[in-house]
Amino acid sequence: MFENTTKLLLHDIENLHEIDVYIKNGGYEAFKKALKMTPDEVINEVKTSGLRGRGGACFPTGLKWTFMPKGKEKPKFLAVNGDESEPGSFKDRQIFEFNPHQLIEGILISGYAMGIDAAYIYIRGEYHKWIRLMQKALDDAYESGFIGKRMKEVFGTDYSIEIYIHKGAGAYICGEETSLMTSIEGDRGYPRFKPPFPAQRGLWNMPTTVNNVETIATVPAIIAIGGENYAKIGAQKHPGTLLFGVSGHINKPGVYELPTGTLLTDIIYNHCEGVLGNKKIKAVIPGGSSMPPLRGDEIDGVKMDEESLKEYGTHIGTGGIIVMNEDTDIVKVTLRIAHFYHHESCGQCTPCREGCGWMEKILKRIVAGEGTIKDLDLLVSVANNIEGNTICALGDAAAWPVRGFVTRFREDFEKYVTQSRVFKAPNIVHGRRNTADTLIEAV
Amino acid sequence: MPHIYIDDKLIEAQPNKTIIEVAFENGIDIPHFCWHPELTVAGNCRMCLVEVGMPKRLPNGTIAVDSSGKPEISYFPKLQIACATPVSEGMHVRTKSEAAINAQEAVMEFLLINHPLDCPICDEAGQCKLQEYAFNHSKGMSRFIETKNHKPKRQSWGPNVLFDAERCISCSRCIRFAKEIAHQDVLTFVQRGDHVTIELFENKEFDSPYSMNVIDICPVGALTSKDFRFKSRVWDMSFNDSICPGCARGCNTKIGVRNNEILRIEPRPNPYVNKFWMCDYGRLTQYDFVNNNRITDPFIKIEGNHQKVTLDEACSEAANRLKQFNPHQIMFVGSAKATNEDNYILAKFAKLLNVKNLDFIKSIDENFQDDLLRCADKTPNSIGAIEVGIKPDTHSVKIEQLSEKIASGDIQALLVMEENFEEYTEIFKNLSELKLLIILGYNHSNLSSLADVILPASTYAEIEGTYVNINRRVQHFTPAVVTSENLRFMGMKMSRLDKFGAFNDRWTQHQLRNSRQSWKIIQKIANNLNAGWSFRNSHDVFLEITHNIASFKGMTYELLDEFQGLVLGKAEKPDPKVRNYESHYMKPN
Ligand SMILES: Cc1cc2nc3c(=O)[nH]c(=O)nc-3n(C[C@H](O)[C@H](O)[C@H](O)COP(=O)(O)O)c2cc1C
Ligand code: SF4
Ligand code: SF4
Ligand code: SF4
Ligand code: FES
Repeated sequence: MFENTTKLLLHDIENLHEIDVYIKNGGYEAFKKALKMTPDEVINEVKTSGLRGRGGACFPTGLKWTFMPKGKEKPKFLAVNGDESEPGSFKDRQIFEFNPHQLIEGILISGYAMGIDAAYIYIRGEYHKWIRLMQKALDDAYESGFIGKRMKEVFGTDYSIEIYIHKGAGAYICGEETSLMTSIEGDRGYPRFKPPFPAQRGLWNMPTTVNNVETIATVPAIIAIGGENYAKIGAQKHPGTLLFGVSGHINKPGVYELPTGTLLTDIIYNHCEGVLGNKKIKAVIPGGSSMPPLRGDEIDGVKMDEESLKEYGTHIGTGGIIVMNEDTDIVKVTLRIAHFYHHESCGQCTPCREGCGWMEKILKRIVAGEGTIKDLDLLVSVANNIEGNTICALGDAAAWPVRGFVTRFREDFEKYVTQSRVFKAPNIVHGRRNTADTLIEAV
Repeated sequence: MPHIYIDDKLIEAQPNKTIIEVAFENGIDIPHFCWHPELTVAGNCRMCLVEVGMPKRLPNGTIAVDSSGKPEISYFPKLQIACATPVSEGMHVRTKSEAAINAQEAVMEFLLINHPLDCPICDEAGQCKLQEYAFNHSKGMSRFIETKNHKPKRQSWGPNVLFDAERCISCSRCIRFAKEIAHQDVLTFVQRGDHVTIELFENKEFDSPYSMNVIDICPVGALTSKDFRFKSRVWDMSFNDSICPGCARGCNTKIGVRNNEILRIEPRPNPYVNKFWMCDYGRLTQYDFVNNNRITDPFIKIEGNHQKVTLDEACSEAANRLKQFNPHQIMFVGSAKATNEDNYILAKFAKLLNVKNLDFIKSIDENFQDDLLRCADKTPNSIGAIEVGIKPDTHSVKIEQLSEKIASGDIQALLVMEENFEEYTEIFKNLSELKLLIILGYNHSNLSSLADVILPASTYAEIEGTYVNINRRVQHFTPAVVTSENLRFMGMKMSRLDKFGAFNDRWTQHQLRNSRQSWKIIQKIANNLNAGWSFRNSHDVFLEITHNIASFKGMTYELLDEFQGLVLGKAEKPDPKVRNYESHYMKPN
């Protein structure tokens, strides 16, 4: 199954989602291999592989696992993040549909490495079909004794784990790791500040690790081919294969598993067979709607891995590539994205709660033709005031695209706005900064 | 003990504390909305963002130093919230750097964009944290020209609390209070983004006995009191410290007065008694009897009718008639509602006349008790009353026997101080058998209508004195309401605002009640019987108490104020002094 090292997740094997087919193709062998290693050796193997999280933040997975306390004083949990609600991202559902057992095997191996007692697969609520498919795979694995109490009988190990599926209720914010945990606990999905990190205080205040579905599903491949071999795939500092979900003005949209570091143009023009109607590209969002966009004229030579994208001021995110052709109205795109984050902000912390709505209102006004040139600077300033000042990264996710579009496509915005400003009385309240005190100090 | 620097000031911090706690304890106020010392940390307002840095470590583990030998500090790229960041050795915090100030101003701008700015009609105005910070920590203007979001106003949360969703800044203090302190977890945020608001769970009410504390901790005017709503602007009121007489806890309070009328009572922090809280019962019931239905003049019953007389006349009448009885025919009823000073003088008077029948009514209601503040003993000073001598000895008449002893004619004269037998109704059928009934009371009541001599007593809100609470803590308080007896005292005490405030605020123009603190009345009666006492004020009485009663030894009013109360018998070992947190309050200057 893992002979072809450019296809480690979505193999060209028919009916792989069926447990028998999966076993026949070497499924659950990687877990058996892992059981012959000590848990620390498994973690080291993942560290050696250089695997970085596929949930968007690119955090080194092996390192994250070492944050979990050793020993058995407290129950430990794994939360597998399949909330996948970022516009432009639709890759985890391919795993649910076509290779669910590799995810289960990944949970077994990760669970063994960290001494996890129970794992929760959190799947976004709208994914009815994929919840059903995943549940079927889980039931089959339970029936075969691969999970739960019969693991000793089947694998001859003292280690055992329970796996549950938790259905989300349709909130993007529940993909954020801390609100994912409050959501599993049955509360309103509200992020909480970090530290303490989940490994210190997670689900029900117990040590917890949160990993993306794709991250966990990659683990059996690493154990099967060895960390060192995995590290040789793709870009050196961000190795492995990635599921690129390509959408937008493209001839063959879809999910493509490719090594990291693949040229963006290669993905668009070879794998996806070019832009719809052979138009020029106006913009590409490289990793889901929260990432700053690339201009069409700067995509030549851009490699799709985190370190390369950083040089262009953007990130790999979830690998959801959105291609927009020359006919695209960038201002409306920005408004649509701003609307999404306004709608999804949980409303807990001030800058994101108020700022997301404000940005949307400004953009709406600009689209309605009532904007002024000053509004463009205001947008950037509001985005700056949100970024980095919030509880969770949704604030950044809302700020980056707005700032990215306004600064990189400023001429598009300028076409929408007038130079002068119609006078509207702003709210002026008394503040120490602008009253007598400052004047007196200045004298 | 970590050493940290806040704005370049070296501080030896307690371990495991957050930056905001350490700063507060050392007199540095970091702006904040959601943090409250008694609630869990939410970290949601983002007002407390500060720059945090740690000494730079070289690869070999040592700390890098600059040319002047000081450790080099590397600051985190992101600002950190002071309320959730624990201090650690060598930490540097900048609360007033450009980055920190920019963030604070940004948060203020965000908070105000959808805020209705109802200040002219908002009860909170004048003691609003948002107003205060808009002045101190914002740019003073907004760049927001869009339409504001609107949310429901005037939503009832329960019997005492009203919610205005537009004014809410979503700090979650009320939600955390309901859950963590009141243990009535019925409030929750609903909706998302800037549409977020607070609702009650279905078919629930926020009717906890402590519900009104959310009004105090709410940094804005989102939560208002149904009782106080629109009664007064806070700047037209004067606030004076007091003690709630509602039960034996003795919660520390502030009494808000306008036109010499109490308009509201609110808790005052005392870490050793009530923390930051008080119960709704105390807040809502302990002022009506001060404001209304007062006995303001002395009366003597002449041929069945009450006739107004001067205090001197009433006191000499009382003295003359008391003389006519044998001491064992007389009973004095003291009061757990009265101060130690009053009860002490009553006990002293009893000794003078050799009256042994001395007791007071205990008012116990087990249903009132809970595990936060409320006590079964619904009087503020029963321990104090006993301590200063209001107790029967083995042969004397106890309060429970009083009714039958009157019926049997054993007791023929009764002096009742600050008590109206509301909970001892069976006594009323026998009271007419008495030959003499003298009362010192606040309000006209069934008892006062029967009295031969009525003496107008001042209430707790008009006097200076001490109570002993359920944990034997002696607490001192001074007047908040003006009477003819304390006019000068209050003149010295009132704030600048009260003296020179608006026309409607000139309390001296208000009609003054002609009542007296009980011990003063009793001293007058006693002096008619040649006692020769010359206590000038409560200080003098308390001084004698501390001399004569061992458990009060070493106490003075000044020490009681300084340490927020002292425990009986432990004047030498006061509890440590702490800096009391006050979220936001009316600032007189
Ligand atoms: C607003 C927001 C939404 C997120 N949604 C997802 C998601 O749907 N799936 C996901 O795997 N990670 C999501 N993340 C990232 C998670 O917080 C977390 O970093 C990730 O699950 C960790 O997994 P990894 O280390 O395997 O990448 C989201 C983060 C934010 C701030
Ligand atoms: S940044 Fe936005 S989504 Fe995250 S906690 Fe704050 S308000 Fe909620
Ligand atoms: S809450 Fe404060 S700022 Fe808001 S209307 Fe009331 S007084 Fe004004
Ligand atoms: S009602 Fe007041 S205390 Fe409650 S969240 Fe709103 S602002 Fe905070
Ligand atoms: S006080 Fe720290 S975030 Fe509100």
